[in-house]
Amino acid sequence: MNTTEVVELGTGSETDDKMLVHARGVTKRFGGLLAVNNVDFDIPRGSIVSLIGPNGAGKTTFFNMITGYYVPTTGDISFDGHDIVSPGRRGRVKSLKPHEVTALGIGRTFQNIRLFGTMSALDNVKVGINVHLQSHWWDAILRTPGMVREERATVDECMQLLKLVDLDHRSETWARNLPYGDQRRLEIARALATRPKLLLLDEPTAGMNSSETRQMTDFIRKLRAELGLTVLLIEHDMRVVMGISDRVTVLDHGEVIAEGLPAEVRANPRVIEAYLGRGAAGES
Amino acid sequence: MDQLIQVLIIGLANGLIFALVALGYTLVYGIIELINFAHGDVFMLGSMLAYFLIAPISSGGWGIFPITVDTPLPLKIAEILAVLAICMAAMATLNVTIERVAYRPLRNAPKLAPLISAIGMSYVLQNIGLVWGSAYQRTIDSVFPPTNLLEPFGITSVAITPSQVFVGILTIPLLIALSLFVNRTRQGRAMRATAQDPDTAGLMGVDVNRTIAITFLIGGGLAGAAGVAQLLYNDYTQYTLGFRFGLNSFTAAVLGGIGNLQGAVLGALVIGEINALSDFYLSPNWTQAIVFGVLIGILVFKPTGLLGQQLADRA
Amino acid sequence: MSATTDTVGTGITGWLGYIGGTLAAIPSQYRTALRQRRRNTIALTILFIVVVLYPAVGHYVLADFSRRVFPLPLPDDTVSTFMTIFAIMAIGLNIVAGFAGLLDLGYVAFYAIGAYCAAFLASPHFGALGINLVFLGHVGPGAAGIHVPFWLIMIVAIIVVATFGALLGAPTLRLRGDYLAIVTLGFGEIVPLFFRNLSSVTFSLTLGPIVISLANVNLTGGVQGINPIDPPYIPILGWVFDARSGPMAVYLGLFLLAIAILVARNLEHSRIGRAWGAIREDETAAEMMGVNTLRTKLLAFALGASFAGVAGSFQASYLGASTSDFFDFSISILVLIMVILGGIGNIWGAVLGAFALTYLDKSLLPYIGQRIGDVAPSLPNPAEYNFLIYGVILVLMMRFRPQGFLPSRQREAELTVHGLQDAEREMGVEVETDNVDITPHGQSETGSGARDAETTDEARDL
Repeated sequence: MNTTEVVELGTGSETDDKMLVHARGVTKRFGGLLAVNNVDFDIPRGSIVSLIGPNGAGKTTFFNMITGYYVPTTGDISFDGHDIVSPGRRGRVKSLKPHEVTALGIGRTFQNIRLFGTMSALDNVKVGINVHLQSHWWDAILRTPGMVREERATVDECMQLLKLVDLDHRSETWARNLPYGDQRRLEIARALATRPKLLLLDEPTAGMNSSETRQMTDFIRKLRAELGLTVLLIEHDMRVVMGISDRVTVLDHGEVIAEGLPAEVRANPRVIEAYLGRGAAGES
Repeated sequence: MDQLIQVLIIGLANGLIFALVALGYTLVYGIIELINFAHGDVFMLGSMLAYFLIAPISSGGWGIFPITVDTPLPLKIAEILAVLAICMAAMATLNVTIERVAYRPLRNAPKLAPLISAIGMSYVLQNIGLVWGSAYQRTIDSVFPPTNLLEPFGITSVAITPSQVFVGILTIPLLIALSLFVNRTRQGRAMRATAQDPDTAGLMGVDVNRTIAITFLIGGGLAGAAGVAQLLYNDYTQYTLGFRFGLNSFTAAVLGGIGNLQGAVLGALVIGEINALSDFYLSPNWTQAIVFGVLIGILVFKPTGLLGQQLADRA
Repeated sequence: MSATTDTVGTGITGWLGYIGGTLAAIPSQYRTALRQRRRNTIALTILFIVVVLYPAVGHYVLADFSRRVFPLPLPDDTVSTFMTIFAIMAIGLNIVAGFAGLLDLGYVAFYAIGAYCAAFLASPHFGALGINLVFLGHVGPGAAGIHVPFWLIMIVAIIVVATFGALLGAPTLRLRGDYLAIVTLGFGEIVPLFFRNLSSVTFSLTLGPIVISLANVNLTGGVQGINPIDPPYIPILGWVFDARSGPMAVYLGLFLLAIAILVARNLEHSRIGRAWGAIREDETAAEMMGVNTLRTKLLAFALGASFAGVAGSFQASYLGASTSDFFDFSISILVLIMVILGGIGNIWGAVLGAFALTYLDKSLLPYIGQRIGDVAPSLPNPAEYNFLIYGVILVLMMRFRPQGFLPSRQREAELTVHGLQDAEREMGVEVETDNVDITPHGQSETGSGARDAETTDEARDL
């Protein structure tokens, strides 16, 4: 692997490992279909990494395995010194459940926006923060002072996040009623509410025009700079990928076919073949 | 030992009747993923209709096809066939109507809406049975003589009666016919395709609405036949039958693998045996609880059932 | 709501201070509401006064006038008490089905367990087994059986019912919506069956030196049930709240109902209430956002069940008896209709549905049946065929108004197209024209376990 310049922002961590995410030999089989094949993947702390590849390459599947939604067929994944996926009994693989992964510090957005449509923007973000709240159902019933204080602090923190994505004036609007660009940003705010160390963004600029795309890339950079986040992107827009990434990994047919600096990857003949070889079915 | 065999034979006969009803559940679930709560009550109305056709006017029936033990065999067969045809046709029509009225408008609604509608429909049908047949059991005199067909072979400790043979003669050809229909005919292929993927089937030229209607038609017809079998085998009907049979048959369908036709039959035979064994060795008070227990157990531990769930098995 | 400017104290004093502050703010909030939404506030105030005064007025004054002045029967004490009982249950089922979106068809089981808790803990029943325990009960010393006061019974009922709810939910809540419905239905059938059948138990168990042996013991009273059951009682004041106490029992019911409403409302506007809403909207997304969906659903189940436990224990103490025949599947459906009809997801909708349907079932239909019987005795009596009517109601509701009459805005928007626009207009939100409709993924009705992912969109790039 080539050495790269990694932006380290002193994110507190349990180990002094430069890598926030370690994935080794990750494979996912769906019946007869091999979706992800023996992928090794590392994400350095504080970096912005892009995961690209033609449609069907296995990128979202990989996202889903990091977040515990799919259990890999084999392999292991560790995050910030904790095991997310590790070998279990009898040759099987065990994985944390998605909500446990979120609690560890991984937040994500979705390829097709999955906001809670009939809840307000503020409530959507509040759900993200749930995992870090301490009050229980009996506190809720009794309205204990601790719970009331926590609720008020929650409103503050969530409003701050909405302000960060420039949606604080729309906090009471139902998510369903927000324009597309606002919904994308709201999803990010919701993911940020989970207080992640690693943010997974699944095609954050899909459906955006060039000025919106520029705003989004500036925003992602701001997240890394101001919040010290590590970001993993799935992207199809090559300008975004080239412009923002510290490192790029390319998947095709579930395998890593290239990895490195953006410029290196762009010039890689295998990568070019993977994309152009798809013909008309390439990026849509 | 002989007692056990006898109990098993009884269980087999009831199991075959359960099978006819179970097929209705599994067909409908396979094609539109709806648990048709009202199906058991359609079966009940089928047996109610059969009662009114057969029972003499003195008992409150219509006396149209009076059959007794003494009716000469050819006439008996003819009358039974007539009752069968009428009940199957009537219940098929009823089932299709119910689909049209209570389920089709909800096809795009959240999944639980048709289920709740089915529950409502079940109560409606049950009450129709209550008004029609009163709260009490309606009995007919046995149509078959209680002879033991094994006697000529020198077996007296175990009995197989003509009524049990009748159940077999009625149900088994229907099961075979259904299997042939689903696997060999074009309409059957359409049903399997719709069960797999309704949208694509529609794009391939399958009339999805009509296919679903035909599924309900077949289910209703089978329920009607089962109703006739139940009346002639057990000699009674009552408006509460729908719940009991519905529970048993639905559990059978789930046990065998919902959406799986062979599974429904296999499951029904198993449930029939469980019923008979529980009734005899434990107490009828507990039978329902046991069947429910089986149902819960399968859904929790092996929801795909014994044979797995596919309506569309590769032919 | 000023979030940061007020501080909340700690500990008991802080808590009392907070409650005091909330109560003290009510008059000024009322005045504001009166100013801003005059008509609504006045109408609701009148309604509130009517509800509070009705039991006393109805019992002492109106009962005589009932048939002569009003064309329809006024609910009597028993019907009014049952209105509160069913309202408490409807609120509980609303938590399970309305907030969390889980269809529970076996709710009657929790009702039954609550009732039998009262039956076991406040009657001579166990005296036959030689178990006698009187603890703060108001019967004389030396009375047979177990007798504890009503508030203690309620607490026990809540704990027992919630435990059963958790036990039922733990293995089954990962099932998809319709399977869960069937499993709960099964549970709702099995539990009353146990109560009916365990009337002569013969049982023997040897655990080392401990031998438990029962010979033909009547555990649950069987078909005849258990009676008499002590009514709720306040010592010193000497107040008894049984079926002959007139409006007293209705007021106890209203008191319990008020608490139930408060508890449900507090749950709704809290961390767990938001989690329930998220799960109902999109279970997968909720799980990915860190919501422990299994535990949250389990809480909905157990908490919702405990309302039925309260209702059941109150009902048994009120009637003074408990028989297994009373608890059958049709009650589960009746409560479900109340929630659906009244307005799904909305606490007040559930109360409204419960009041309306209880009145219909226990007052209006019997009255109509009586009148028809007077005029034309051969016609069917609608009171006997009540479930025919309810079945038709269900089918029609699902077809034409699945959200009910007073649904929460969320559920209405989920279930109807125009409901969303109405809700927006009401909230004064400008309707955007270029919004993207969020496709409802895995509406939790069909929420398969998060691991069973093959059908989700995430799999699309395979």
